[in-house]
Amino acid sequence: MRYAYFPGCKIPHHLPEYGASVHTVCTALGIELVPVEFACCGWPIRHENPMASIYSAVRNFAVAAKAGLPIVTPCKCCFGNLRYAQSRMASDARLAAAVGNLLGREGLAVPAHTEVHHLLTVLDKDVGASRLREMTRTPLSGLRVACHYGCHALRPGNVTEFDDPLAPSVFERVLSATGAQTLDWDLRVECCGHPLRGRDDAISDALMRKKLENARDAGADVVATACTYCQMQFGQERSRLSQPALPQAVLFTRLLEAALGLAPLPDSWAL
Amino acid sequence: MSTFSILLALVCAICIAGLIRRYARHRARLFAPPGKTRAESAQTAHNPPPGLAGRMGRAARSAARSLAAAVTDVLLLWRTARTSPYRWLAHTLILSGFTGLLVFHALDDIISYPYIAGYESTLDPWQWLRNLFGAMVLCGAGLAVLRRLRTPALRRLSRVQDWLLLAAVAGIVGSGFALEAVKIISPHVFTRMTDEYFLPQDETELAALRAYWSTVNGVIFTPPASTDPALLEQGAQLNENNCVYCHAETASAFVSRALATAVSPAAAPLNNARADQLLWYLHVGLALLALACMPYGKFLHPIATPLNLVARQGSRNAAGPADIPADIPTDTPPDIPTKAPAAATASPPSPVSPPSPSGAQRRLGLEACTRCGECSLHCSVAPAYTVVGNPNILPSEKLLSLRRYTEGSLLPAATDAFAEGSRICTECLRCTDICPSGINLQDLWLASKSSLKKEELDGPNTTIRQCSAAQWANVLGAQGKSRFEQEKGDGLADRAESFWGCVQCTTCTSVCPVVAVCEAPAKDLDLMPQQIMNLLRMGLKDEALGVRMVWSCTTCYKCQEHCPQDVPVADILFELRQIATERFKERRLTSCPLPAVSPVRIPPVDGGTGPTGPTMATTSTAATVATAATVTNPGTALEPNTAPAAHTGTSDPSTGTPA
Repeated sequence: MRYAYFPGCKIPHHLPEYGASVHTVCTALGIELVPVEFACCGWPIRHENPMASIYSAVRNFAVAAKAGLPIVTPCKCCFGNLRYAQSRMASDARLAAAVGNLLGREGLAVPAHTEVHHLLTVLDKDVGASRLREMTRTPLSGLRVACHYGCHALRPGNVTEFDDPLAPSVFERVLSATGAQTLDWDLRVECCGHPLRGRDDAISDALMRKKLENARDAGADVVATACTYCQMQFGQERSRLSQPALPQAVLFTRLLEAALGLAPLPDSWAL
Repeated sequence: MSTFSILLALVCAICIAGLIRRYARHRARLFAPPGKTRAESAQTAHNPPPGLAGRMGRAARSAARSLAAAVTDVLLLWRTARTSPYRWLAHTLILSGFTGLLVFHALDDIISYPYIAGYESTLDPWQWLRNLFGAMVLCGAGLAVLRRLRTPALRRLSRVQDWLLLAAVAGIVGSGFALEAVKIISPHVFTRMTDEYFLPQDETELAALRAYWSTVNGVIFTPPASTDPALLEQGAQLNENNCVYCHAETASAFVSRALATAVSPAAAPLNNARADQLLWYLHVGLALLALACMPYGKFLHPIATPLNLVARQGSRNAAGPADIPADIPTDTPPDIPTKAPAAATASPPSPVSPPSPSGAQRRLGLEACTRCGECSLHCSVAPAYTVVGNPNILPSEKLLSLRRYTEGSLLPAATDAFAEGSRICTECLRCTDICPSGINLQDLWLASKSSLKKEELDGPNTTIRQCSAAQWANVLGAQGKSRFEQEKGDGLADRAESFWGCVQCTTCTSVCPVVAVCEAPAKDLDLMPQQIMNLLRMGLKDEALGVRMVWSCTTCYKCQEHCPQDVPVADILFELRQIATERFKERRLTSCPLPAVSPVRIPPVDGGTGPTGPTMATTSTAATVATAATVTNPGTALEPNTAPAAHTGTSDPSTGTPA
């Protein structure tokens, strides 16, 4: 199991603990993450320049093809935009030609096909829940986890093909293997609000609060995230909320680290 | 006092004045002074300052780190070697060669003569070393030129100052070699030396010495010196007795001697023209010129970059070398409500926020760039530069603009380009990690972004909120399609078939999480998603460009996923933002050209008195948009369920609760 590791732009400075825990978990599970110098996935610039967004994404496919590896990313937004670029390239011949032209100037070519995976899918398919269960040393029994899906991987479902966009289950499958109790909650496939951060902070805050309150009402101890942006929203930006009693957001790789005995269980998870 | 000393003093004065001017140009007003953030102040209050022993220990650790950085980062150029061994070789050759020349040759009056016993510039090993150092510099400069020419991305980025510095370095060393070569062949120089230091006993002695120096050391006399073996024998003896105390054989000046041989066919005209004197003026003139240029552009880097590297103490991230984790307990600071910075988080996994670098550190960083281009060659958003073409997207170029921005000398158009580059940067830390000069670029970008945001220059999302959708409909509608739209052809929003299926069922609106969290959606968002679709269906695209809903869309794609008729709602909203951005860019609009709407919404006074304007804008925006639509397209009959429907109960989003 070798993958070209696509951390995305925000991990190195804004969320280094995600990168660290992804590496620990993958090493323990025998998933080899090959460092490849990728560029931005193109998601942040999609608001203003579609061509720059698609070109940025496709250039990464060319780089991955050079390494001869499928891409794995722990970020839902990176995953979503890479998949979106693939679908646009397949459906718009004029765009595909223009992108190919630009790539040619750098001595690169549009690869025929590039596999793009989110880390959750890799854990689900390559490792599997049963092996995860076997490897669990410190079961997270009693921990009630609300899995937060992240919009850009789920939708549009026909583009991302991540999971059932209306009733996804991959996140729960992976985490229930650790012994944690996963919850069915109303807003689990709703937006965290981060895409509006800095653009409309009031609505961004409102979306975050509503979601966390819903998780709390569903009885969650923690909200599990599998996306850099979602975790930045629920982790770093939550200090804007005045309510301290909302469940804490935890990166799913940190939950796995704890379950696999790679890191101690923090007390704050209220086990 | 010689002319040279006067010139040198003058050039030094120019250099120092330039340095002071360069340092004083930064205006703190524009570049947010670092100062302590509230979280840091709280932290300090929370943790009493360490005692004397603690402070001394910290100072000792800090000094050790600075020393380590001076060795590894400055002398060994370890940072450069990490990313580009080729550039490391080129720069090591230049750095060590030039330092050798500077210390032993240029400053020989101050260093070599007083401190090295028996030093003489024309004795070995010094003569040989000088040629070696010079050859290293020329090789390094050649490699550097090749690097810039061979990498297309770097060639595009190279500016005049990049070539100028390389030319200056190669010019100083090259003219030095040329000077030494013409001195070797010059009979004038020979005569000057013998007049001063040689007392011939008889006529044949001078001829003998000439013969010897001509054959062995390459002096070219007109007419040529004798090659009689007996005379040569005598010359060798005389050389042994008189010259060798100060002169090694010129063969050890291996570059200059080879050059002398190469130019020997032109020896007569060169000697007649006193090329030795001309080249001395050229060599010294170039060196003085380079010294005078020191305060400008990257000519400063031999001073600023080592200082910056030592100040950064080997750090490769934005946090800097502060030993926070060791000294300050990592308990979380008390929760600070309101606008606490992102770093001051209350969640345990995040590290304690590092102190912001001081203003002096930031200024040093701004000046320390060598324009090696490594950051831009590895920049995460370089593909965006390929498409957009704004050099400010790349860190090395953005830094130039940032310097002018802090000085307050950036023109409006350049400021827009700088703002666009800053906006596109994803803060991925790669440039900071890579920078061979150790510049804390991440901190500079974060600081300049927040400064741009304060000035409301952070992009279309801010601009669009400066006036109402109706005002934007007027402004952007009058402008017409941008070049981008014309080239791209009809987009989703232009094509009737995108909306053929739309039955105005309001599913998109009822699943929208943004609509759901708004207390008064019609006021906060202007129009609901399904109303925007209806507006577009009628061809009123310009009227939709400034609608709040378009700009406050969180891109969660629920609308599109749930649409029973497969209308690509979210993709269309994306497209509207892209179109507005392009139109802004084309017209260089960074603020609303019309008088802004008063933030306090006044109830409609006299609705429908005329076209949109400040009076109209104070009325409910949704109604204004509808009126604007009527005004702009008098022929279009507004259907009952278009814009004004925001006031009726049919699409009241409060009733449409999300799943």
